[in-house]
Amino acid sequence: MNTALASNQNRFATSTQQVGIASLVLIACVFVLYFVVSTSLVQEVLGLQSQIEARVPTFFLRLMLIVGALTAALFIITGLSYYKRNKLAVTPWLFLAVGLALFLIYVIIPIFQSISYSFTRWNGLYDINGDWTGEWVGFHNYKVLLDDPNFYTSLKNNILWLVLYMLAVPIGLFIALFLNQTVRGIRIYKSLFFFPFVISQVVVGLIFTWAYNPEFGLLSEVWSWFFCETKENIMGNLTRVCSVDPPSILGDEHKATYGIIAAGLWPQIAYCMILYLTGLNNVSPDQIEAGQLDGAKGWKMLWYVVLPQLKPATFIAVVVTVIGALRSFDMIATMTQGGPFGSTNVLAYYMYDQAVGEGVGRYGYGSAIATVLFLIMLVYISYFLWRMYQDEKEAS
Amino acid sequence: MFPKPIKNYSTGTQLAYKLALPVALLLWLLPLLAIFMTSIRPASDIATGNVFGIPSSFQMLQNYGEVFAKTDALRYLINTLVIAIPTMIMSVALACMTGYALAIYRFKWALPLFFLFIAGNFVPFQILMLPVVDLSVKMEIMNTVPGLVLFHAAFQTGFCTLFMRNFMKALPFELIESARLEGVGEFQIFWHLVLPLVKPAIAALCVLIFTFIWNDFFWATVMIQDDASLPITVGVRTLNGEFVQQWHLVSAASLLAAVPPVFMFFIMQKHFIAGLTLGATKG
Repeated sequence: MNTALASNQNRFATSTQQVGIASLVLIACVFVLYFVVSTSLVQEVLGLQSQIEARVPTFFLRLMLIVGALTAALFIITGLSYYKRNKLAVTPWLFLAVGLALFLIYVIIPIFQSISYSFTRWNGLYDINGDWTGEWVGFHNYKVLLDDPNFYTSLKNNILWLVLYMLAVPIGLFIALFLNQTVRGIRIYKSLFFFPFVISQVVVGLIFTWAYNPEFGLLSEVWSWFFCETKENIMGNLTRVCSVDPPSILGDEHKATYGIIAAGLWPQIAYCMILYLTGLNNVSPDQIEAGQLDGAKGWKMLWYVVLPQLKPATFIAVVVTVIGALRSFDMIATMTQGGPFGSTNVLAYYMYDQAVGEGVGRYGYGSAIATVLFLIMLVYISYFLWRMYQDEKEAS
Repeated sequence: MFPKPIKNYSTGTQLAYKLALPVALLLWLLPLLAIFMTSIRPASDIATGNVFGIPSSFQMLQNYGEVFAKTDALRYLINTLVIAIPTMIMSVALACMTGYALAIYRFKWALPLFFLFIAGNFVPFQILMLPVVDLSVKMEIMNTVPGLVLFHAAFQTGFCTLFMRNFMKALPFELIESARLEGVGEFQIFWHLVLPLVKPAIAALCVLIFTFIWNDFFWATVMIQDDASLPITVGVRTLNGEFVQQWHLVSAASLLAAVPPVFMFFIMQKHFIAGLTLGATKG
């Protein structure tokens, strides 16, 4: 009894001490962070030429102070008797704290900030006192949007992307069915087929820009097998004479978007393929056997027995394809920059162009475009969350 | 197994299948092969129209050497590593903790917060762009590598949390309960029991995040204007402007940008695919 009490008191003593020291550390860190550290101070201490050079060291100094403060806070909280009584209720919040805070600051709050920007006219600058230079204009940006032909072109292209990108799902399934065999070396084939997805979209964009080039690209080469012949002219040089000139896909405002979508399909098909290959791997052999006994073969087997079992794979494939279609930016930026004559703009690229494009800086208008894009995406996000919620309810 | 195993077919069909495989692969990777061929031929070949044939001379070393010598390709590659690796470590570490909190503890906020992470993960980048730029300017880290890393880490935490939480949810919960009954502290359970069990998930996430960040183009263009800190994706596009009509160099530079993710994919294939196909089998 006595020893138990003693050890209890002892534990209490160390934890008070711990809380005391940690509190001091916390206060010191926060004080230094707010009142002492600044880029100009760091610049002077390190003897740097400009404040710009001092920004990175200052950042790391601040980061260290924040980490110090957080560690101290952790010690304080775990030292409190309240924590010891409510361990299971408090611990998850300790684990969540940093990740959730960062996610809120960088992802969740900016969504609402962007929506609020969309009701303003602003060029992104602050005046010398650090005051905001924009003005509140209500729904003005949205009214302008409704009369903007570029907005409609972008919206139309976004729909085109959404619809045509969906081809990736059946084509991916088709390739997966083609590769779902057990011959020698099939694993290598599967990973090589997956290749395009691993490569950056910028590189895919460059590859296809080159392939579409009407003078010396892959397409013109293939074209020349059918429509061109090589002739020797009077000077004795070889020239290519074509009955029909190869099309300039990216230079033609009616073809450019289709060209970019075709390029975008390449990696997306690879992604859908790998999803279906994994799905096919888990199709139950019993059901296939049962289907065979019922006389199902080929297409019927695929439609009535296999596809229902591939539902989760199809769901993920559709979700990632929709998101990929609405996020299309990298390819447009590398292949056409929205041209020719704005014909390949999508909302994502048009927004970027309006907000930070050369000589534009329309933050309010750009935010209005982003908000429209967000609302379109929100439809799919809500559906996806609803589906996940159903799964969670089933699981518990 | 579906479709019917090929060995149950006639020898002729089997042979046809085995022939069709390489042909299909060749067609599928034709753009990539063609760009590789372009990257190893001299400029004169492209001018004379020898785009698809055998190069008149093999200039692989010269072309790739020229890319490194004439441009900042090496610095771009290093910059990309400096951006990708810290992001990978930060977001995976944070997600281990958030995933643990959301999977192991039963509190009423667990599901709403989980959905918040998922929803945030799917929003279009453009809706985040201007506030993130504004915030980075205010924090004095705009146009620096740490500024970009911090944003990437925060954003990728969403995807990583989705992944980690589902992975941890599948662990046997009795294990954790019995550890609690033994009097093991919550932090010890996390460190000594759960983390070792989720090592495959950590590996999968690391490969995926590394590839995502390596291939990122949008955020690098938005957050970094300074030529000295540009990553390779933006760098390659800049080179495209510099090397007008010098397609042998553009293609060499593009392939250089593609090599590390491809390499990463090949050595960590199993983890990579496990990460991407999460959720494609259950449900």
